[in-house]
Amino acid sequence: MNFPLSLWDISLWIAVTAIILLVTSELIGPYSDYFGDFVIEKTRLRLAALILGAAFMVTVILRAIMPY
Amino acid sequence: MASTKKSKNEKQSSSAETEWSKRALAEPVTVQYLMRTLQELQSEHEALKRELIKSRRIPSGRIGAALLIAGSSVLAGSVFASSATLAFIGLGLTFWGALFLFARPIKFVRSTLLDSTAIASYTTIDRMVQDLGYKAKAIYVPPYPEEAYLPQYLKGLKEMIVFIPAEDSSIMPTLEEMAKQQFLLKNQKGICITPPGFGLSSVIENELRARFPQIARALTIESLYDSLPRVITSNLELAKGFEIKPENELTHVRITGSVYSSLYSREQGLRSIHFLGCPLTSAIACALAKATGKLVTITKDNVSYDLQTIDVWYQTLEA
Repeated sequence: MNFPLSLWDISLWIAVTAIILLVTSELIGPYSDYFGDFVIEKTRLRLAALILGAAFMVTVILRAIMPY
Repeated sequence: MASTKKSKNEKQSSSAETEWSKRALAEPVTVQYLMRTLQELQSEHEALKRELIKSRRIPSGRIGAALLIAGSSVLAGSVFASSATLAFIGLGLTFWGALFLFARPIKFVRSTLLDSTAIASYTTIDRMVQDLGYKAKAIYVPPYPEEAYLPQYLKGLKEMIVFIPAEDSSIMPTLEEMAKQQFLLKNQKGICITPPGFGLSSVIENELRARFPQIARALTIESLYDSLPRVITSNLELAKGFEIKPENELTHVRITGSVYSSLYSREQGLRSIHFLGCPLTSAIACALAKATGKLVTITKDNVSYDLQTIDVWYQTLEA
């Protein structure tokens, strides 16, 4: 009964999700002409994206320190 | 199909009316009858109110909670089944559920509603200024700092005011006169009113103090030039673009895509907006007056034909 995902799997998932969120937060930013009027907590969305980005960097550093 | 529905509705409403009129004719108009009718109407009103709240409720919270529960269950299931696919699905569902709860839609007010609430005050100022025959430019008077000690009779100086003189040659009112919080000044011809952007300037100032620690200590003109564009466009989203820069002893502000732009339209025909400014430009005048500690006036404004770009020039005056 082990958790089926390795650090590499989680790192990949975090990277993909962070990219999706960062692109979304850029698209719905107040400067955007197309989706600028999208009504959502944009600062929080960006914060979540940045946290995920930082989490990905942590996993990369972990892999660099402990490759195996 | 729409006409059938309409006629059905009409029929229903007419039948309800006849029922009410029949009951009204049948029963004599007594206090009990009126009380019962009132109770019925009240319960109907409450039911309609509940229905309205239900229809307006944003379901993102529920969606988020559902995703979170489903995701956690799948994630727990993946541990028992040792399935990587289930773990990915569970992780995704849990994450998006949490994100839905964290970054849920915020309440918003249509900009047309913002305009309609502001128009009344501008129309009133227009009528007053026209009635009094004033033609001079408004002067924003900076307030004394909150922490500054002032005797009781001068406490009124801690409030931001805008002085509209009768003529350009009119002299500024004395401190005592301003402290009395009078509307119509007797000796010096002019009126003192609260700036239209007073409330907004407090919001902007709070946001500036929260976001920029250097402003929390002291609001200076340099810090205002640096931080105001970000606060107005990114944090408060009052405009799509914002530039502020010094220009030949004046301060030039260019606003693009302002939420208050339609107040400048020819259809509105507001005159006071050009010398007092819209709530946003008025709030900037208040901030400039506070930062410099000097009198500020709007010398010129220029609005593009499509109302998308507003250029305003501010001048600081020595008291």
